[in-house]
Amino acid sequence: MNRRIISTRHTPDLFLLCVILLWCSAAALAQSPGQSANSTTPVNIRGTHLLGFENAKNNANGTLSIQDDALQFQKNGKPTEQVKIASVQDIFLGEQSKQVGGTPMTLGKAAVPFGGGRVVSLFAHKKYDTLALEYVDTNGGMHGAIFQLNKGQAEALRNELVAKGAHVSESASESLKQSNAEVSSESK
Amino acid sequence: MKASNRVSLLLVAVAVVTINVAHPPQLSAENAASSSGTNSTAAQWSVQVDKVDPGDVALASSFQIAIYESLLDELSKTKRFKQVLRDGDRNAGDVSDLLILKTTVEKYSAGSETRRAVTTVSGATKLTVRSQLCARDGHIILERTVNGNVRFMGSNLRATHNLARNVAKAIKQSSLPEPSQSASHAAIDSNQVVVVELR
Repeated sequence: MNRRIISTRHTPDLFLLCVILLWCSAAALAQSPGQSANSTTPVNIRGTHLLGFENAKNNANGTLSIQDDALQFQKNGKPTEQVKIASVQDIFLGEQSKQVGGTPMTLGKAAVPFGGGRVVSLFAHKKYDTLALEYVDTNGGMHGAIFQLNKGQAEALRNELVAKGAHVSESASESLKQSNAEVSSESK
Repeated sequence: MKASNRVSLLLVAVAVVTINVAHPPQLSAENAASSSGTNSTAAQWSVQVDKVDPGDVALASSFQIAIYESLLDELSKTKRFKQVLRDGDRNAGDVSDLLILKTTVEKYSAGSETRRAVTTVSGATKLTVRSQLCARDGHIILERTVNGNVRFMGSNLRATHNLARNVAKAIKQSSLPEPSQSASHAAIDSNQVVVVELR
């Protein structure tokens, strides 16, 4: 009788230990890919072309990538638009808060009775990074392009561009601080 | 059957000829009407768009770039100018009748898309700029104060699109002097400059 009681007491302890070990190993496994992702440099980034590139549509989703000495934007199934990194004169980072869901969501919110759509709007917004480029063409004409990226990706891309030879002025870092202040005032 | 086919073919041929004969005079009349308007002289000017001057306003660089690019886009759409050139374009030196569009930001309120969506009445993004069309020697030919706002729907950057559209509209509606007069002679005295605020 006594033996049986002792054995039943030990089984849950072992089970608990196994669960803890499994949880720890899972946590360790989950952490390691994230660390490796941080250490690798981003070359392909999903983003939205807001405006600027000659043959790309405004507000087009696509992939921003750095190939050799050029920054490329490719929309699925469309030809690639590219800019020589050496022609980039300045890079500005910013942040903006946008409502998610686009026009369908806006119409849906308008259809919610008793102003319920406004409450939805209160929570249906997301912060994005913006990357603004100034570059020159072969005639010396100044161009500008703006991309919207997921939060945290713009700075990584900017660093990559700078490493590849893009010019950045001191005012660019100031503009980042300013836009950060704008976003914080928006969220209040 | 064959006779009826021939008749129908003949009728189609007559219809095609009639349409072809009737349309060219209409098109030429349209062209004549458009060329006889106030835009006829301005069609020979070219314009170079300068970078946006933020002035004393703390305007984000993305907004400055968006205004600049939208201005180029909207001015091209008006078809009022022979060429629309970018800031720094080396080809501008070879263009004889060139105007320079200078844009200075006067007022800016950032607004918030979320506030607009929640309250409807607040959170508008407002931009006010002073646009000047200058001759090569710096004389101001046209000056306008133009607004661009987003009050209800759309992102904050949409204000720049609305602003550029209003600037292009203001330039399109104004009468510019003959480009055959050299740019220096065409300049109007500064006291003749009219400032119009578009709301």
